[in-house]
Amino acid sequence: MMPDCIVCRTFPAQTAQLASCFDFVHAGANAAKLDGEDINKLDLVLEELFTNLARYAYEQPDSGDVEVAYKVEAPGRMLVQISDSGRDFNPLASDPPDFSRGLADRPVGGLGIFLVKSIAESISYERNAGRNTISFRFCGSGRHVNDSP
Amino acid sequence: MNIEATKLEPAVVLKVSGRMDAANAGTFQRSCEEWIAKGSTRLVLDLSELEYVSSMGLSCFLVVAKALQAKSGSLILCHLRGLPKQVFEMTHLLKLFPVFDSPDEALRSFK
Repeated sequence: MMPDCIVCRTFPAQTAQLASCFDFVHAGANAAKLDGEDINKLDLVLEELFTNLARYAYEQPDSGDVEVAYKVEAPGRMLVQISDSGRDFNPLASDPPDFSRGLADRPVGGLGIFLVKSIAESISYERNAGRNTISFRFCGSGRHVNDSP
Repeated sequence: MNIEATKLEPAVVLKVSGRMDAANAGTFQRSCEEWIAKGSTRLVLDLSELEYVSSMGLSCFLVVAKALQAKSGSLILCHLRGLPKQVFEMTHLLKLFPVFDSPDEALRSFK
Protein backbone atom coordinates (compact mmCIF):
# COMPACT_ATOMS: atom_id res chain seq x y z
CA MET A 1 0.00 0.00 0.00
CA MET A 2 1.00 3.59 -0.46
CA PRO A 3 2.38 5.38 2.58
CA ASP A 4 0.66 8.28 4.35
CA CYS A 5 -0.45 11.54 2.69
CA ILE A 6 -2.13 9.83 -0.22
CA VAL A 7 -5.23 10.90 -2.06
CA CYS A 8 -7.37 8.10 -3.42
CA ARG A 9 -10.53 7.78 -5.51
CA THR A 10 -12.41 4.90 -7.12
CA PHE A 11 -13.78 5.20 -10.64
CA PRO A 12 -15.88 2.88 -12.79
CA ALA A 13 -13.40 1.13 -15.11
CA GLN A 14 -14.77 2.86 -18.19
CA THR A 15 -12.90 4.84 -20.83
CA ALA A 16 -15.58 7.53 -20.49
CA GLN A 17 -14.27 8.13 -16.93
CA LEU A 18 -10.88 9.22 -18.20
CA ALA A 19 -11.64 12.94 -18.00
CA SER A 20 -12.72 12.56 -14.36
CA CYS A 21 -9.52 10.64 -13.62
CA PHE A 22 -7.48 13.44 -15.22
CA ASP A 23 -9.29 16.07 -13.12
CA PHE A 24 -8.64 14.08 -9.96
CA VAL A 25 -4.91 13.65 -10.56
CA HIS A 26 -4.49 17.24 -11.82
CA ALA A 27 -5.16 18.45 -8.28
CA GLY A 28 -1.99 16.60 -7.28
CA ALA A 29 -0.12 17.79 -10.36
CA ASN A 30 -0.96 21.37 -9.46
CA ALA A 31 0.16 20.78 -5.87
CA ALA A 32 3.41 19.37 -7.29
CA LYS A 33 3.68 22.56 -9.41
CA LEU A 34 3.97 20.64 -12.66
CA ASP A 35 3.67 22.86 -15.73
CA GLY A 36 1.22 22.24 -18.59
CA GLU A 37 3.65 20.23 -20.71
CA ASP A 38 4.46 17.91 -17.82
CA ILE A 39 0.78 17.50 -16.97
CA ASN A 40 0.16 16.38 -20.57
CA LYS A 41 2.88 13.75 -20.15
CA LEU A 42 1.37 12.62 -16.86
CA ASP A 43 -2.04 12.42 -18.59
CA LEU A 44 -0.52 10.22 -21.28
CA VAL A 45 0.72 7.67 -18.74
CA LEU A 46 -2.63 7.74 -16.93
CA GLU A 47 -4.62 7.37 -20.14
CA GLU A 48 -2.64 4.40 -21.38
CA LEU A 49 -2.92 2.54 -18.06
CA PHE A 50 -6.56 3.50 -17.42
CA THR A 51 -7.83 2.59 -20.91
CA ASN A 52 -5.83 -0.65 -20.91
CA LEU A 53 -7.49 -1.60 -17.67
CA ALA A 54 -10.97 -0.54 -18.84
CA ARG A 55 -10.64 -2.82 -21.85
CA TYR A 56 -8.86 -5.86 -20.49
CA ALA A 57 -9.00 -6.11 -16.69
CA TYR A 58 -12.52 -7.48 -16.38
CA GLU A 59 -14.41 -10.23 -18.19
CA GLN A 60 -16.78 -7.63 -19.57
CA PRO A 61 -14.98 -4.52 -20.91
CA ASP A 62 -15.94 -1.28 -19.15
CA SER A 63 -17.12 -3.10 -16.01
CA GLY A 64 -15.63 -3.23 -12.50
CA ASP A 65 -13.75 -0.47 -10.71
CA VAL A 66 -10.34 1.13 -10.79
CA GLU A 67 -8.74 2.78 -7.80
CA VAL A 68 -6.42 5.69 -8.48
CA ALA A 69 -4.17 7.04 -5.74
CA TYR A 70 -1.42 9.61 -5.76
CA LYS A 71 1.08 11.20 -3.46
CA VAL A 72 3.03 14.40 -4.07
CA GLU A 73 6.54 13.43 -3.00
CA ALA A 74 8.21 16.75 -3.74
CA PRO A 75 7.84 19.68 -6.15
CA GLY A 76 7.85 18.14 -9.62
CA ARG A 77 7.54 14.58 -8.36
CA MET A 78 4.50 12.34 -7.85
CA LEU A 79 3.89 8.70 -7.05
CA VAL A 80 0.74 7.27 -8.65
CA GLN A 81 -0.93 3.89 -8.15
CA ILE A 82 -3.64 2.34 -10.29
CA SER A 83 -5.25 -0.87 -9.10
CA ASP A 84 -8.09 -3.19 -10.06
CA SER A 85 -9.61 -6.46 -8.92
CA GLY A 86 -9.80 -7.97 -12.38
CA ARG A 87 -7.97 -10.92 -13.89
CA ASP A 88 -4.33 -11.58 -13.00
CA PHE A 89 -2.52 -9.59 -15.67
CA ASN A 90 0.76 -7.73 -15.81
CA PRO A 91 0.66 -5.31 -18.78
CA LEU A 92 4.30 -4.36 -18.17
CA ALA A 93 5.35 -7.86 -19.24
CA SER A 94 4.31 -7.22 -22.85
CA ASP A 95 6.94 -7.50 -25.56
CA PRO A 96 8.40 -4.22 -26.84
CA PRO A 97 7.23 -3.05 -30.28
CA ASP A 98 9.25 -4.05 -33.35
CA PHE A 99 10.39 -0.72 -34.79
CA SER A 100 12.17 -2.27 -37.75
CA ARG A 101 8.98 -2.90 -39.70
CA GLY A 102 7.80 -0.65 -42.51
CA LEU A 103 4.38 0.97 -42.66
CA ALA A 104 2.63 -1.96 -44.36
CA ASP A 105 3.81 -4.44 -41.71
CA ARG A 106 3.72 -2.21 -38.64
CA PRO A 107 0.99 -3.27 -36.16
CA VAL A 108 -1.39 -0.40 -35.40
CA GLY A 109 -1.42 -1.14 -31.66
CA GLY A 110 0.97 -2.08 -28.91
CA LEU A 111 2.53 1.33 -28.34
CA GLY A 112 0.72 2.39 -25.15
CA ILE A 113 2.71 0.44 -22.58
CA PHE A 114 5.93 1.29 -24.40
CA LEU A 115 5.05 4.99 -24.00
CA VAL A 116 4.24 4.45 -20.33
CA LYS A 117 7.62 2.84 -19.71
CA SER A 118 9.38 5.58 -21.67
CA ILE A 119 7.80 8.48 -19.78
CA ALA A 120 7.52 7.17 -16.21
CA GLU A 121 10.65 7.60 -14.09
CA SER A 122 10.06 4.14 -12.60
CA ILE A 123 7.22 1.67 -12.75
CA SER A 124 6.31 -1.64 -11.13
CA TYR A 125 3.50 -4.19 -11.03
CA GLU A 126 2.32 -6.43 -8.24
CA ARG A 127 -0.50 -8.92 -7.76
CA ASN A 128 -1.64 -9.07 -4.17
CA ALA A 129 -4.86 -10.21 -2.48
CA GLY A 130 -6.64 -10.55 -5.80
CA ARG A 131 -5.67 -7.07 -7.01
CA ASN A 132 -3.40 -5.85 -9.79
CA THR A 133 -1.49 -2.72 -8.80
CA ILE A 134 0.72 -0.62 -11.02
CA SER A 135 2.82 2.02 -9.26
CA PHE A 136 4.74 4.65 -11.17
CA ARG A 137 6.81 7.65 -10.27
CA PHE A 138 6.46 10.71 -12.47
CA CYS A 139 9.12 13.40 -12.48
CA GLY A 140 8.54 16.71 -14.23
CA SER A 141 11.08 18.43 -16.40
CA GLY A 142 12.10 20.78 -13.61
CA ARG A 143 10.14 23.70 -15.02
CA HIS A 144 7.80 24.31 -12.09
CA VAL A 145 5.04 26.83 -12.55
CA ASN A 146 6.29 29.13 -9.80
CA ASP A 147 9.91 29.11 -10.92
CA SER A 148 11.34 32.51 -11.72
CA PRO A 149 12.25 32.99 -15.38
CA MET B 1 -10.11 18.23 -30.52
CA ASN B 2 -11.09 20.28 -33.56
CA ILE B 3 -10.57 19.36 -37.21
CA GLU B 4 -10.73 21.91 -40.04
CA ALA B 5 -10.51 20.60 -43.59
CA THR B 6 -9.47 22.65 -46.62
CA LYS B 7 -9.34 21.20 -50.11
CA LEU B 8 -6.21 22.46 -51.84
CA GLU B 9 -5.67 20.40 -55.01
CA PRO B 10 -4.10 17.94 -55.23
CA ALA B 11 -4.47 17.43 -51.50
CA VAL B 12 -6.73 18.01 -48.53
CA VAL B 13 -5.24 19.90 -45.59
CA LEU B 14 -6.65 18.90 -42.21
CA LYS B 15 -5.78 21.16 -39.32
CA VAL B 16 -6.05 19.08 -36.13
CA SER B 17 -6.09 21.13 -32.92
CA GLY B 18 -6.30 20.34 -29.23
CA ARG B 19 -6.11 16.91 -27.61
CA MET B 20 -6.43 13.58 -29.42
CA ASP B 21 -7.12 10.90 -26.82
CA ALA B 22 -8.94 7.58 -26.47
CA ALA B 23 -12.28 9.38 -26.35
CA ASN B 24 -11.98 11.21 -29.68
CA ALA B 25 -9.24 9.62 -31.80
CA GLY B 26 -11.91 7.72 -33.73
CA THR B 27 -13.39 11.03 -34.88
CA PHE B 28 -10.05 11.92 -36.49
CA GLN B 29 -9.85 8.53 -38.20
CA ARG B 30 -13.41 8.78 -39.53
CA SER B 31 -12.78 12.29 -40.84
CA CYS B 32 -9.74 11.05 -42.79
CA GLU B 33 -11.62 8.00 -44.05
CA GLU B 34 -14.43 10.19 -45.36
CA TRP B 35 -11.93 12.13 -47.51
CA ILE B 36 -10.36 8.87 -48.73
CA ALA B 37 -13.84 7.59 -49.64
CA LYS B 38 -14.32 10.77 -51.72
CA GLY B 39 -11.16 9.94 -53.66
CA SER B 40 -8.49 11.95 -51.82
CA THR B 41 -5.15 10.16 -51.67
CA ARG B 42 -2.99 12.93 -50.21
CA LEU B 43 -3.97 14.08 -46.76
CA VAL B 44 -1.80 16.85 -45.31
CA LEU B 45 -2.09 17.24 -41.55
CA ASP B 46 -1.35 20.63 -40.00
CA LEU B 47 -0.43 19.63 -36.44
CA SER B 48 0.81 23.03 -35.28
CA GLU B 49 -1.95 23.23 -32.66
CA LEU B 50 -2.11 19.57 -31.66
CA GLU B 51 -1.25 19.54 -27.95
CA TYR B 52 -1.63 15.89 -27.02
CA VAL B 53 -1.80 12.48 -28.67
CA SER B 54 -1.98 9.08 -26.99
CA SER B 55 -1.46 5.58 -28.42
CA MET B 56 -5.10 5.50 -29.57
CA GLY B 57 -4.35 8.52 -31.74
CA LEU B 58 -1.14 6.94 -33.04
CA SER B 59 -3.12 3.84 -34.02
CA CYS B 60 -5.50 6.02 -36.03
CA PHE B 61 -2.58 7.76 -37.80
CA LEU B 62 -1.27 4.29 -38.75
CA VAL B 63 -4.65 2.99 -39.93
CA VAL B 64 -5.15 6.03 -42.17
CA ALA B 65 -1.57 5.93 -43.50
CA LYS B 66 -1.91 2.24 -44.38
CA ALA B 67 -5.21 2.89 -46.17
CA LEU B 68 -3.63 5.69 -48.19
CA GLN B 69 -0.52 3.66 -48.98
CA ALA B 70 -2.76 0.94 -50.39
CA LYS B 71 -4.06 3.59 -52.83
CA SER B 72 -0.55 4.87 -53.63
CA GLY B 73 -1.25 7.94 -51.54
CA SER B 74 0.19 9.28 -48.30
CA LEU B 75 -0.59 10.83 -44.95
CA ILE B 76 1.70 13.82 -44.53
CA LEU B 77 2.61 15.32 -41.17
CA CYS B 78 3.38 19.04 -40.86
CA HIS B 79 4.44 21.22 -37.98
CA LEU B 80 4.67 18.49 -35.33
CA ARG B 81 5.81 20.02 -32.05
CA GLY B 82 5.76 19.57 -28.28
CA LEU B 83 4.50 16.33 -26.76
CA PRO B 84 3.03 14.94 -30.01
CA LYS B 85 6.45 15.29 -31.67
CA GLN B 86 8.10 13.56 -28.72
CA VAL B 87 5.55 10.74 -28.87
CA PHE B 88 6.18 10.19 -32.60
CA GLU B 89 9.92 10.22 -31.96
CA MET B 90 9.73 7.81 -29.01
CA THR B 91 7.73 5.30 -31.04
CA HIS B 92 9.98 5.59 -34.13
CA LEU B 93 6.97 6.54 -36.25
CA LEU B 94 8.44 9.58 -37.96
CA LYS B 95 10.29 7.41 -40.47
CA LEU B 96 6.97 5.95 -41.63
CA PHE B 97 5.43 9.30 -42.65
CA PRO B 98 6.47 12.11 -45.00
CA VAL B 99 7.18 15.06 -42.66
CA PHE B 100 7.27 18.75 -43.59
CA ASP B 101 7.67 21.97 -41.65
CA SER B 102 4.44 23.44 -43.03
CA PRO B 103 1.45 22.51 -45.22
CA ASP B 104 2.70 25.02 -47.85
CA GLU B 105 5.98 23.14 -48.07
CA ALA B 106 4.13 19.84 -48.40
CA LEU B 107 1.88 21.23 -51.14
CA ARG B 108 4.89 22.62 -53.03
CA SER B 109 6.47 19.15 -53.00
CA PHE B 110 3.58 17.85 -55.14
CA LYS B 111 4.38 20.21 -58.01
